[in-house]
Amino acid sequence: MKSKYAVFILVLSLISILALLIGCSSTPVTTGKELKLGAIMPVTGPAAEKGKPGIDALLDVTEYINKELKGAGGYQIKLDWKDSQYNAANVNTIVTDFTNSGVLMFTAMSSFEMTNAMGIANKAGLPGLAIFTSPNLYNPPAHIYGQMPDYGDDWVAFSNYYMQNIWKKSGKPKMALALLNNTTGSSVKDVANARAAAMGIEIVDIVDHSATTIAETDALTRIKAKNPDVIFISSTPQPTSVILKNAKDLGLTPSTVTIGLAHASFTKSLIDLAGKDVVEGVYGVYPTVTWDDTAPGIVKAKEYLMKNHSGDVDNMDYLSVWCTGLVSAEILKNAVNAVGYDVLAKGDANAWKAVEQSGFQKLNYNVAGIQGAVSYTAGDNRLAKSVKMYSIKSGKITSIGDWVTAR
Amino acid sequence: MSSLPCGTRNYSYAEDMAIVRTKTQWALIAAFLVLLFAGPLFLGNFWLNKINLIGITLIAATGLNILVGYCGQLSIGQVGFIAVGAYSSAILTGKLGLPFPVSFICSGLMAGIIGLVFAIPSVRVKGFYLAITSIAAQFIIVWIIQKWTGLTGGTNGLTVPDASIGSLVFNSQKSFFYLIIGVAVICVFLAKNLARTRVGRAFIAIRDNDLAAEVMGVNLFYYKMLAFFIGCFMAGIAGSLLAHWSVSISPDNFSFSESILYVGMIIIGGLGTTLGPILGVVLIRLLQVGVTQSTPWLQSALPGMPNGFATGITPILFGLIMVLFLIFEPRGLAHRWNLFKFSYRLWPFSY
Amino acid sequence: MTELMQYIITGLAVGMVYALIALGFALIWKSTGVANLALGQLVLLCSWFTYGMMQQLHLPIWLAFPAVIVFAVGLGWVIERFALRPLIGQPILSLIAVTLGIGYFMSGLVSFVWPQSIGALPQIFPKNPLHIGGAVISQEYVWAAGISLLVFLLLSLFYKYHRMGIAMRATADDQMAVQACGIPVTKIFSMSWMFACVVAAVGGILISSIGGISNGLLETGLKTFSVVILGGLDSFGGAMIAGPIIGVAKSLGTGYLTPYLWSEFGEVIHYIIIVIVVLVKPFGLFGEKRIERI
Repeated sequence: MKSKYAVFILVLSLISILALLIGCSSTPVTTGKELKLGAIMPVTGPAAEKGKPGIDALLDVTEYINKELKGAGGYQIKLDWKDSQYNAANVNTIVTDFTNSGVLMFTAMSSFEMTNAMGIANKAGLPGLAIFTSPNLYNPPAHIYGQMPDYGDDWVAFSNYYMQNIWKKSGKPKMALALLNNTTGSSVKDVANARAAAMGIEIVDIVDHSATTIAETDALTRIKAKNPDVIFISSTPQPTSVILKNAKDLGLTPSTVTIGLAHASFTKSLIDLAGKDVVEGVYGVYPTVTWDDTAPGIVKAKEYLMKNHSGDVDNMDYLSVWCTGLVSAEILKNAVNAVGYDVLAKGDANAWKAVEQSGFQKLNYNVAGIQGAVSYTAGDNRLAKSVKMYSIKSGKITSIGDWVTAR
Repeated sequence: MSSLPCGTRNYSYAEDMAIVRTKTQWALIAAFLVLLFAGPLFLGNFWLNKINLIGITLIAATGLNILVGYCGQLSIGQVGFIAVGAYSSAILTGKLGLPFPVSFICSGLMAGIIGLVFAIPSVRVKGFYLAITSIAAQFIIVWIIQKWTGLTGGTNGLTVPDASIGSLVFNSQKSFFYLIIGVAVICVFLAKNLARTRVGRAFIAIRDNDLAAEVMGVNLFYYKMLAFFIGCFMAGIAGSLLAHWSVSISPDNFSFSESILYVGMIIIGGLGTTLGPILGVVLIRLLQVGVTQSTPWLQSALPGMPNGFATGITPILFGLIMVLFLIFEPRGLAHRWNLFKFSYRLWPFSY
Repeated sequence: MTELMQYIITGLAVGMVYALIALGFALIWKSTGVANLALGQLVLLCSWFTYGMMQQLHLPIWLAFPAVIVFAVGLGWVIERFALRPLIGQPILSLIAVTLGIGYFMSGLVSFVWPQSIGALPQIFPKNPLHIGGAVISQEYVWAAGISLLVFLLLSLFYKYHRMGIAMRATADDQMAVQACGIPVTKIFSMSWMFACVVAAVGGILISSIGGISNGLLETGLKTFSVVILGGLDSFGGAMIAGPIIGVAKSLGTGYLTPYLWSEFGEVIHYIIIVIVVLVKPFGLFGEKRIERI
């Protein structure tokens, strides 16, 4: 008897919660001339650590552009963002919605989400700006463009820097790669295999690991047996910390072997996880400047960060997505100035074509100095061409030198 | 207790075994089907998209229900077989250029055959051991997909060409709606029919007490393999539809927590019934929609919420619902629905 | 040759850590016959709680550690009382599904209270690596192996000689007989869940101090099932022996087989072992063979 009522009440409350949630989610109708920007952010779910600062940054930068820069080309930007929960089926739905709701271009936080979105987006002709990229998004180039260089570009930049500044002996240096078992790693593998010989580097070993590894001593033992001069790691912070700690135990420290990191793991959480003494002297590549740089755009970013989302202090993903807003506004501004608002207001295939050809493909913008300048060259959908080199000194990420070409 | 409306009596075997017994039931089913297939006329793209997802999930859940609910073989790796179906279909249409109907059936067969491979342990063990083996099966399948880059594109994923039958191309939510709901209706009907055939009765006998079934003459090996084959075949065709509907697939789409969700769906809906998977799938998917849609609103309306609220609310909610249903209503929503039907049919004498 | 030594020593140490978590599983199976599929999530939750105590509340270790133990005991009691006691006597699918549901709930709880995806525990163990033969092993692993052995010994002694332990073994054998003797079976279930959670907490602290806290612990939990199956579901000794075996298998697989097969073979070897063991010797090396009668 008791359970009968319990279940009845349970089901009734479930249905009412459902109705409430769906009902309250209807967005209010706005009037006025706006340019719609779609955004897919993993605010909840496994990638929430990147998605939450990402959406904070996007909201702040939209506020900044609308208030202080008077929008893009004079028209306010309307942000239509959805939480993908890092789930492929959700991304599918959200992109389909974008193609129907008058969105002019969209952006997605991670390469996983963009990979799942690009099928539908490319078919419809809706242009997209991927924040964190991987080579499969634009090989072959279609309507998806990369805002920041991908991990393969990181490798090229690091190898360039290494050959010019660190490698002092003659002959070919021996490089070992420790890669995460997804696109973060495979993009490095493909580029390295293709270009190492031409750059004068010999790849002696490539080891994969999973994101959940707790011990990499076996793989590192194999690497150590080949006597590498330089090790490049492209992974996320936690496995990278395991690798660095295990390498230190085996004697592969930054003082005996040059260690370089791709930008996926080169964050403050790596220093916390591994410990300051383990990461001392490790080199890293990052597509944006750090928060204490003197670039002009940092001032405004800091102001809005402290005003609205002070919990995200020192967060590098915030900075990357701040750039996304600036770049998107620049694209929309170019498009509006080229074809006028009425073509774009329709939000259909013509509008998307205009945004792509007059917006994306006419970009030449320095993004207020926060990330590498973005521009378009035919046949190459990667918009940013350079990254910055850093090294970790006394537990802090310090910049060394200027922008390095990642080509 | 037979579930017939008051006053109808069965005077022949055919009447006793009928799925649809009274004229009212025929009328209701016809009306429901008409309403369902007329859906695209008044539903927007957003809801069509959701219903397509529900349809695909329903096909896989019906397969899982036959395996777990009717035959009692615990399998927590359904998503692995869906992945097999999805990738088979993508590779057959993309790399080999086979027409969609062929790849559709082949992906089901492929998933069924791989299901048979992992079904062999079921002859030796059951219960928890089988559940663990199915978890292992899922991880092994996903790992192979990740590593066999030559065939599957590895972690970069595959772009799937359009599905087309003859000159009919399926590239909009509306066209997919008809395809998916059509297949789903056929699958549900097949599952309902299965329960009243010899095979279905053998499954139920195995579930209730497999030693006794063997003593009675039910060939355990044959029927367990058949159950796995049917369950995985349906997962395979669901995967094929999923691949063409999502246009691009990658190994990350097929995670272990989805498998847990499938098991949750059929338990909440009701094991061993045909209505169960439908109710469970609809409830869980609608909840997911609700949570996804309301996150922006909640995020802005309640700034005092801790950062982790939006992240944690989905697993907390679903885990809680699963546990509550298992404690209070282990026979699921279908059982509640049956009780409701009985009480409504016997009113004013409902007990 | 030094490589072989290195692989074996690393494998043994890592395997001991897996064995510790497997002990938690064997505890519950031995006493209650319930398969606890939420093992990984238990470890995760206790690890995050430790993080909360040590990093967020800044308690010193001699205060934080007992707090974590108390939390683990409480957690075990809550799970048993509210989720498992109502399901006594239900078919096994319900029991497995309820542990799955609890696991899912706990992973949501972790995301809710600690939204960051990675957490670092302060260094508990000294850092200099030990040199054994030509091989190097970090002290963390050695300490972890040592503590696992200690816990195993304590548990075995408890089960063999202490009154409560004997009662637990009796419950695993025949619940009705135990009730007839006047021992409250529900109290035994509670105690076994509390013990299992404490063991999971200790295992979690050890693993987290090695590799940090992240959702990887869930996958580690799944990999522990291979230890459980190989060793036998209800055998402590089996878990302790199977753990190092699987650890060494993984190391050797990663080291030697990887160039021939696809990379990262070490990740999937656990699951292949599960399938092989279930086909060949389902009850594991030391498990008790259950004979089913109609």
